[in-house]
Amino acid sequence: MSGHDTLPMRVTDLEVALVETGEPILKGVSFDLHPGKIFALVGESGSGKSVTSLAAMRLLPDALAITGGAVHVDGQDLFELSESTMQRVRGRRVAMIFQNAMSALNPVQSAGQQVAETLRLHTRLRGEALRERVVQLFAEVGIPDPQSRYSFYPHQLSGGQQQRVMIAMALACEPDILIADEPTTALDVTIQEQVLELIRQLTQTRKLAVLLITHDMGVVRNTADEVAVMYRGEIIEQAGVEDFFHNPQQAYSRRLIDALPDLTQFQTVAAESPLLQLDEVKVYFPIRKGVLQRVVDYTRAVDGISLSIGRGETYALVGESGSGKSTLGRAILNLDEIAGGTILFAGQAIQSLPRKQMLPYRKKIQVIFQNPFSSMNPRLTVGEVIAEGMVSLGLGLNATQRQERIEQLLERVQLPADYSQRYPHEFSGGELQRVAIARALAVEPELIICDEPTSALDVSIRAEVLELLQQLQREFGVSYLFITHDLSIIPTLAHHVGVMQEGKLVEQGSAEQILTRPQHAYTKALLASVPRIDN
Amino acid sequence: MFAYIVRRLLYAIPILIGVNLLTFMLFFVVNSPDDMAVSQLGEKYVTPQAIAAWKEKNGYDKPLFINGAAEGAGAITETIFFTKSLKLFAFDFGRSESGRDITTDVSTRMWPSLAVALPTFIVGIWVNICVALLVVMFHATRLDRWAVFLFVSLMSISYLFYIIGGQFLVAKTWKLVPISGFQAEGQAWKFLILPVLVGVVAGIGSGARWYRTLFLEEANQDYVRTARAKGASEISILFRHILPNALIPILTGVVVLIPSLFMGSLLIESFFGIPGLGSYMLDAIKSQDFAIVRSMVFIGSILYILGLILTDISYTWADPRVRLS
Amino acid sequence: MKPLLLWSDALVFLLVIALVLFFYQLRRDPLTRERWAQVFSSRLGMVTFTVILTYVGIALLDSLHFRKALDAPVAAADQQSVTAEVFYDNQVTSVLDIMLGGMGERFERTYSAPFALQSFEKQNMKNAQGRAIRDFPPLEHAGQHLTDPQDKWPDVLAKTLVSLLWGLLICAVWIAPQWLWLRRSPHPWYASWCAQAVVICLGVWMVSISRYYHILGTDQGGTDVLYQSLKGVRTGVLLGTLATLIMLPIAVTLGVMAGYFKGWVDDLVQYLYTTLSSIPGILLIAASVLLFQVYIDLNPDFFSIGMEKADARFLALCFILGVTSWSSLCRLIRAETLKISQLGYVQAAHAFGVSHARILGRHILPNVVHIILITFVLDFSALVLAEAVLSYIGVGIDPSMGSWGNMINGARSELSRQPPVWWTLSGAFFFMFALVLAANLFSDLVRDAFDPRSVSRRSQA
Repeated sequence: MSGHDTLPMRVTDLEVALVETGEPILKGVSFDLHPGKIFALVGESGSGKSVTSLAAMRLLPDALAITGGAVHVDGQDLFELSESTMQRVRGRRVAMIFQNAMSALNPVQSAGQQVAETLRLHTRLRGEALRERVVQLFAEVGIPDPQSRYSFYPHQLSGGQQQRVMIAMALACEPDILIADEPTTALDVTIQEQVLELIRQLTQTRKLAVLLITHDMGVVRNTADEVAVMYRGEIIEQAGVEDFFHNPQQAYSRRLIDALPDLTQFQTVAAESPLLQLDEVKVYFPIRKGVLQRVVDYTRAVDGISLSIGRGETYALVGESGSGKSTLGRAILNLDEIAGGTILFAGQAIQSLPRKQMLPYRKKIQVIFQNPFSSMNPRLTVGEVIAEGMVSLGLGLNATQRQERIEQLLERVQLPADYSQRYPHEFSGGELQRVAIARALAVEPELIICDEPTSALDVSIRAEVLELLQQLQREFGVSYLFITHDLSIIPTLAHHVGVMQEGKLVEQGSAEQILTRPQHAYTKALLASVPRIDN
Repeated sequence: MFAYIVRRLLYAIPILIGVNLLTFMLFFVVNSPDDMAVSQLGEKYVTPQAIAAWKEKNGYDKPLFINGAAEGAGAITETIFFTKSLKLFAFDFGRSESGRDITTDVSTRMWPSLAVALPTFIVGIWVNICVALLVVMFHATRLDRWAVFLFVSLMSISYLFYIIGGQFLVAKTWKLVPISGFQAEGQAWKFLILPVLVGVVAGIGSGARWYRTLFLEEANQDYVRTARAKGASEISILFRHILPNALIPILTGVVVLIPSLFMGSLLIESFFGIPGLGSYMLDAIKSQDFAIVRSMVFIGSILYILGLILTDISYTWADPRVRLS
Repeated sequence: MKPLLLWSDALVFLLVIALVLFFYQLRRDPLTRERWAQVFSSRLGMVTFTVILTYVGIALLDSLHFRKALDAPVAAADQQSVTAEVFYDNQVTSVLDIMLGGMGERFERTYSAPFALQSFEKQNMKNAQGRAIRDFPPLEHAGQHLTDPQDKWPDVLAKTLVSLLWGLLICAVWIAPQWLWLRRSPHPWYASWCAQAVVICLGVWMVSISRYYHILGTDQGGTDVLYQSLKGVRTGVLLGTLATLIMLPIAVTLGVMAGYFKGWVDDLVQYLYTTLSSIPGILLIAASVLLFQVYIDLNPDFFSIGMEKADARFLALCFILGVTSWSSLCRLIRAETLKISQLGYVQAAHAFGVSHARILGRHILPNVVHIILITFVLDFSALVLAEAVLSYIGVGIDPSMGSWGNMINGARSELSRQPPVWWTLSGAFFFMFALVLAANLFSDLVRDAFDPRSVSRRSQA
């Protein structure tokens, strides 16, 4: 045990269990952090990676308890300290940044005050000196105009700036150890890259020992020095980052790495007759102001989009949150009113059709939503969920035929047929998304709008669902409009890609063309933030 | 912000018209002036002459909406709707069935009401917050569970028992203060202490329990975890982070009641003999004086709508995230 | 004997049938079943539910009304012996009255303290020697069997022990089948059995002792206070349920429509409930009740007996409370519907071209049921409390109908007597407190189980 004193943090055989049932959550986790190095803890949701970080800080929620092991910081076991001594460790020696900066910052205190609070707790700085130090920190983490940002409230800052405030808060007292729990997950890709760059840079300049917790292999690839893969409360593999990516030992690690995009293989463009054509489609939401709530302006959510999707083809619509891509999907489904332009489906204009006349097209255009948990009525069985479209669109089946079809569909999406009697809450996210696919397929559509269908899923499940979608396309010749913010899934999936920014389509073309020879600056920025395995 | 307030005030107009129409329907259409006369006169004295005389004396002898007999504008103005309902908008409440001027009554009686209601309101919130904070400090312990049980028990006791019990113990058994009565000057506090005390104690159960839930809701927010990770102590987290955030729903939730404080409390005022608007209303109900009830409904509605507007304004003041538009 | 069905009786039995069917329907849904299981997995849930059911049981027994056939008057017997006409008592009796063994028929002259043998007030009377004295007269229905007043407490004790034995015997018969049936159930039924045992023993004790003493004394009119308190149960329970039930259809229909259709429907509904909630509730209720009272007074022919008049007023009160209090539930349901309309499954239904009616019925209504349920149990206790206040103000239950509010109203100055008369208030207090406390505790559990906010909080922890 001689290495203790030189290491900033050593976690040995950490065990955590549920208080109520005694069910183990962490089963003996051990690792070391080194100064100036980033140690990445990777795993999917429920693997116990966040619990590890909270346990190390002794910040576990009441339902969880530490049942064994030790966390040494500079040779001192944190689990032996009193709570008040521990308070002097938190923020001073070990600092932490969290996933969703918006909710992790106190909404009624200004950004500056919150950073100042850390300093006030651990240093003697007060008054003007305190303020100056905060402004200096803001400048260091790259917040523009730090003087005035001091008195901004969190909601007045952008997502990236909020995360920078969090980092400033964490670094205020110059800790030796930084625990970053999914620091970039809630951010758009371009911002994500900037924040990671900042963390990398600070690790170097301050000789920080960083524990980076993430589910994103791309982040690990671009940022970490050492990797540990967590699976069901255990570290199953631990290695240097180069070693890990080129020579993973475990099948599970292999799967995680395989989910990274391969930017050398693309879908070949199949020149087919167009199924859906959009021409200058606009969706505006009014902005009302003044005493009489007159419409003074419009939010141009979708501002003149023209594109065309062929039969049996996948068109990927890429953009960051708020770019209007989901609104476009809803407009095609006639769920949002369009302000202008035409939507042609198989040559017929279908925009703004009344409910009755829209019905025949409802059969042909279907949708899969992002959140599998909210896209199914919790009070209906899976069978009833799938049957809904068949009933309302009058496919002319009787009850037994419907039941047969439901079972066929469930088998087609690789679920047991007897699932039809069960209720949605009994299933995992991946299974539910398969049910959602079965529901869409039930009415034999020609086009399915997939609105971020995999972004709520873990990496390994994501790949399976995407694979299923592709199989179904080959089998039924269905077209997909695939709405996503994640460029990494495009190469395997899409024939065409359109990049959306602020309601406009800034660039479109074949997948290969967009991903290898982007023209527009925004596309380039998006691409730059995609992690790759090949470099 | 200014435009917003103007808009809210404009929106209040249709609501007040609605209130006005509703009360008009209730008091004159569902229940005709004849019915009212009969119940006011009492069964024994009901003759067509007596009814007509009563209606004339109280101004109910006109048609409801349109007076065909009157000339020009009189067709509209010489109606019950105009004289009894529309005039409320001009704060002209007319006379009660017993002949007193309602406007004068209201303006003299609202001050005693306020003298009881305002201290009850302020002390009540303060006590509830303190009690709730105390309980939250012992969250998830046996003490916390028993405190919640106590709150629920306190909630389950009728308000009447608080008043009766308070009078019996404090005033009758211990003889600390007079049982009831009111005095505008001098020793007014002697008469106010007991009603305020009763009002505060009666509110602790529901108030403290509600605030405790709000505190705990805030305690589960992410920013509390951030504060812990900074190294802040539990006490400072409670006071510096949880309390300011929980105060937003607490304060904005009670603002709507502030204008209504003028209306006083029916029960407290009648038990303690305080000559406020609460006992005024109660007397009106008991003597079936519809003119007063109608006026009080109108005043109450105005105060409530005022409360709603104040609530919205208080949001912008208390919560930096809210901007009115 | 002639059964008599008051309107409120009919409604209450309809209500019970509807509730049973509703819960039976809910049982099919596994999510709901899981949540109910959570409510009943706590001992507190079991105990409070048992207490509430006891109250409901008393209310139901008290809703089986009939009029007793009068014995043919002796004088008239010779003349009309041929006619088989039977005359019925104007006094309406219920099954509960029979089960209480005539507790309500043992009147005294005026106040008497609990377990007292003599009246509370002195009276002029003649003693054995025929001289006029002023003393506390003996009660007519208390301690008649005693030869020596000194024996009172030993006698009470002895009778208590005997009745306890009987109570335990009945408990054994009552609980044994439940035990056989439910012993393997995961829920803490033993808590419910304990509560049932206490209720049964207490009931047996009250009925048997009340034959010899006034357990809670008598009030000013000489009526047994315990009897009055028990009669108040029906009023309280019925008011709490009927008023909510009348409000539900209004609130749910308007709330769901506003949240789903938005636009002008939403504006209209919002206008309606803002207008209604801006009127001080108590004034609106008072005015409505007074107006209805005027109507009753002017149309006395509609009601053949006094009980029917009181019943009409009671129903009107329920109706008025229901109509004036839908706004808060409506607001909640509107907000929830707005939220649900944005969820994937409603969007998916739109994408399938499902009709509005079907979306409302299949997707939206079932998912706001938890709000209705929470409101139902929460409002119940609030309404029971409100009844007391309204009766005090004079716009509540008809004074001829037993209710806790009327008891309090009649007894409010009794504490200032010397010595204070405390038992009338205590009777009303304890019966009301037990019901409201049980309902409040139970509603807390229901809310914890059904409110998605607390559900998510639990799963996070």
